[in-house]
Amino acid sequence: MSDNYEPNIVAFLCNWCSYAGADLAGTSRVQYPANIQVIRVMCSGRVNPLYVMNALQQGADGVLVSGCHPGDCHYMEGNFYARRRLGMLKDLMEFVGVDPKRFHMSWVSASEGHKWKEVVEKTVEDAREAGPFEGFRRRQIDW
Amino acid sequence: MDLEQLRKTAAEVVARDDVKYLIGWKKGSYGYRVAPVFVEDAAGVAELIFSPLCTANLTTYLTLVEKTPLPRGQEADKRKVALMVKGCDSRAVVQLLVEKGIHREEVIVIGCPCPGVVDQSLLVEKYGDTEEPVEVKWNGDGFMLVRGGEEIKIPRDEVLAEKCRLCRYPNPVISDHLIGAEVEKWSPAEDSGVSELDAKDVDGRWEYWEEQFNKCIRCYSCRNVCPLCYCQDCILDRLNPTWINRAVNFSENTAFNISRAFHLAGRCIECGECERVCPANIPLGKINRKMAREVREKYGFEPGLDPEAEPFQASFKPDDPEDFIL
Repeated sequence: MSDNYEPNIVAFLCNWCSYAGADLAGTSRVQYPANIQVIRVMCSGRVNPLYVMNALQQGADGVLVSGCHPGDCHYMEGNFYARRRLGMLKDLMEFVGVDPKRFHMSWVSASEGHKWKEVVEKTVEDAREAGPFEGFRRRQIDW
Repeated sequence: MDLEQLRKTAAEVVARDDVKYLIGWKKGSYGYRVAPVFVEDAAGVAELIFSPLCTANLTTYLTLVEKTPLPRGQEADKRKVALMVKGCDSRAVVQLLVEKGIHREEVIVIGCPCPGVVDQSLLVEKYGDTEEPVEVKWNGDGFMLVRGGEEIKIPRDEVLAEKCRLCRYPNPVISDHLIGAEVEKWSPAEDSGVSELDAKDVDGRWEYWEEQFNKCIRCYSCRNVCPLCYCQDCILDRLNPTWINRAVNFSENTAFNISRAFHLAGRCIECGECERVCPANIPLGKINRKMAREVREKYGFEPGLDPEAEPFQASFKPDDPEDFIL
């Protein structure tokens, strides 16, 4: 690992809370690491585990999924499904030997710009510790 | 196992007007082989057997039947299918009912309480393969191998299949006809394979699975034999979008195996068929049993027991664990 290694993180943010939260962080000029690539989805419950795997295969070193706090989902219960499914995915990946530091999930509401910053910092720091995830890449891809 | 009772019940069932056929086991072409058989009339029931060699989970055949579009004016065959099941197979039937892959009125379940089946590869390893017709029977606490007039007693632990050592449901959880008396449950062995891997660190596990998944030739036998893999449109066959490339390399193999294990999380009934048919001997059972254990311990859910249950991944509880969330 070279000294100037910067991890690539893919973040799936729900449209109603986390995406707005990240937007708020931006408009409030909160500084956070730029390693993150945001993909907006309508709900965290819409995140297919295959998305996570595909991101890792295509060059991501870490994946973050973020949605509304339980009970606040725009679609009433989408994030509850996400919590159950992605919680299991995390356990499964851990069992297969994927560093648990590479996959995170968080609840960030539209008003939590500062929490978003903390979440990104933690995700990037963890991915940096875990190092480049070369074993699982489909091919060498420059981002 | 009372073969007479089995054949009598089977004859009664296939004689019914509303039954299409009965799926059971019969003697295979040679040696230890056992083959599935589709019995359509009373003459065929003489072929039926139930022995420690009947490892295959016949539930797969329920969803394998191709349902082609019917010509106008023609009505679908609504007759029932009768099916012989062991304890583990019956859980697959229940899980299919939960997912509405089949409907209760479409099947007649003939339950066979099962004292545990043998692992054929262990049998071949210890007692040699043969082309002569042989018989394996349950004998008290163990098995009895009858070969060329000679009777060999085999201790139970020597050839018992791994899934049976861990079995918690030897008796069918659902049945219309039960053949013979229920067997006594044994205390399942500790799942050493999973615990051993769990004890390793993340890199150790990655190394282990790297070696295993590198062996995968992507024949998809595990998917084809799995009673719960019956999606008409499987992501593995789909080209647009191509979630998993067809290339056989470590990256795609791992993605395939993870996605299959995930697909079965909360659904796998641990019949061990995937592991049995794998030509590369990948211990797929370990990964599935790990997920089953996780689901059982963390979410208090066990698939394939209650036909009225909600599918695990399509339901939630407000108090599901969320200690992993930042």
